[in-house]
Amino acid sequence: MASTQTNVDIAAAATVPTGSLLVSLVPLSPEALEATLATLSLAFANQTVLVATPDTAPSLSLGGPLRLLPYTPTAVSDTSWVLTAADYLNAFKLVQENQASACLLLGAESHTLHPEAIRALAAATATSDLAVARYDLGPREGLVNSAILYPVTRALFAARPRFPLAIDLGLSVRMAQRLAADAQRFTASSQNDALIWPVSAAAAANFSISEIDVGTRTFAQPVASDLNSILAQIASSLFTDVDAKASFWQRARSTQTGRSVAPTSPPMEHPADVAPMLDAFQIAYTNLHEIWALVLPPNSLLGLKRLSAMPPASFRMPDSLWARIVYDFILAFRLRTINRGHLLGALTPLYLAWVASHLLLISSGTAPEKHIEDLASVFEADKPYLVSRWRWPDRFNP
Amino acid sequence: MWQQVELALSQSAHRVLFKLASFLPALLALFLAVLVLSAIGAGLSALLHRILTAVKFDERVSRNQVGSVSDWAPSHSPTALVARTAFWACVVLGVFIGISAFDAAYPGESQIALFVIPYLTHSVGAVILLIAGTVIARFLARSVLIGAVNAKLQYARFLSLGVKWLVLVLTAAMVLDHLQIGGVVVELAFGILFGGIVLTLSLAVGLGSRDIVSRSLERSTELVPDPIPGDHESRSPAETLRHF
Repeated sequence: MASTQTNVDIAAAATVPTGSLLVSLVPLSPEALEATLATLSLAFANQTVLVATPDTAPSLSLGGPLRLLPYTPTAVSDTSWVLTAADYLNAFKLVQENQASACLLLGAESHTLHPEAIRALAAATATSDLAVARYDLGPREGLVNSAILYPVTRALFAARPRFPLAIDLGLSVRMAQRLAADAQRFTASSQNDALIWPVSAAAAANFSISEIDVGTRTFAQPVASDLNSILAQIASSLFTDVDAKASFWQRARSTQTGRSVAPTSPPMEHPADVAPMLDAFQIAYTNLHEIWALVLPPNSLLGLKRLSAMPPASFRMPDSLWARIVYDFILAFRLRTINRGHLLGALTPLYLAWVASHLLLISSGTAPEKHIEDLASVFEADKPYLVSRWRWPDRFNP
Repeated sequence: MWQQVELALSQSAHRVLFKLASFLPALLALFLAVLVLSAIGAGLSALLHRILTAVKFDERVSRNQVGSVSDWAPSHSPTALVARTAFWACVVLGVFIGISAFDAAYPGESQIALFVIPYLTHSVGAVILLIAGTVIARFLARSVLIGAVNAKLQYARFLSLGVKWLVLVLTAAMVLDHLQIGGVVVELAFGILFGGIVLTLSLAVGLGSRDIVSRSLERSTELVPDPIPGDHESRSPAETLRHF
């Protein structure tokens, strides 16, 4: 891939006609940048595309379809594994300065994307305001997305994209502007690493959303290896977004039908070792019960009690219990029932219990996507519970 | 003799009634000052509450990520915190003014204010210390409990209780010292208790963590990196879990 001829013209960047597509890249290593430019050349062989990169531009041949635009970022982010407020702000400034018609925002490791996938994302911007990538992940990947981000986004915002925090996006100009406005609120207070939720922003603005299947790709992993802090960062950002858009999602109704997925899949060759996760849950159950009791209603606590008594082989967390737990944590986050840091810390063992249950379920032959779609449907069905408790939090709740 | 007894009784009754008559206005002045300032405090508190609600103070604070303020606030609302602080400041001011008024209205030669006001100031300081200590103890206990549970420590609750009592003992010693009660006895008792709790915790953690320490040493000698909690990159790549 890296040896592919890259047709990039830096000097001609200024002569790019207005109204062309702009591809905004996040900071990449020289090798990754070269490989990404090669992929982009393949993707846009017959189209003039402006490629903006904050890195030092490589010296490449003239006369190709790509017009390279090195730039100095307005806001700099230290986070590379996910798109941050700084990335959205920089992308919109570039769109504005170059009068582009649409923007393609590609995350780290974008050279591992297929050229067809990039082309499809770019094409989708002509018909929709937000084109979100849908990735083919293994059954043990993207678990936070499957457990929390996707079901919550789908249930509350009535938006179907499977990866609400996708790192490859196609944006119309007005979508880029809206996301930049959201991002500016964070960058103004020096929070350049803040996460932005494009799907909920598009849903709240009534913009059109499309989902493009991009197949497999390599993902950069968070630098910090601590699950607790990263889960807290992501969940905190999502819950804050849910709080901010409460007036929208309380009215939003899901009208689309669910995806059709295969109900079963071949059993995994190497069943996952769920014992450490179950241990974490058992330790948490004996120690964090008092804290959970401040957040969860008696019915959920009873569900957790039953769960703690289950033998490891038949450990199953009911989807309805997990949906209630997430909704009650969202509510407690809003009401500040306990310190938010403590609240999100208390969520980690429950999330690990869900992961253990999910892995055991899929190892028995249930297709991972089937379980995740079922879970999302349960979240949708239980949405009135959240709406009701959001409006009347003090009402008796069994 | 009876005349002398009668005289002594009438004089003492006269003195007591005179003192009571001069004491009551002073007491009334004290109560009046506290009542008026409390009423002013309530009015100020209500006014502040209304103004801050109108300017959406809570939303601004939460948007600016001043989480620490919101977390300490009553009812988790910075507006309520400001309003209540204003009210209680007025009440305390009323008590001070009341004591001064009492002192001025009371014709006795004993300067009560000279003794009471400094002690009252210390008492207010002690109450603030007690509240702050209790809040900090609860906060730290929960932080340690959640952190220890997520680190999968079996003795998480014990550790959390230890930290809580450390802070509470420290707070109690500070409060007593501030009120100048107990003197050296408090310092000695605090030293013994604090040292005892630290020693108990050290022994418990040390003995409880023997296996963890030995495993960690074995791992470091084998140069195998520490696994991420929940992430298992052991035996085969097929078993890798990726949360993100």
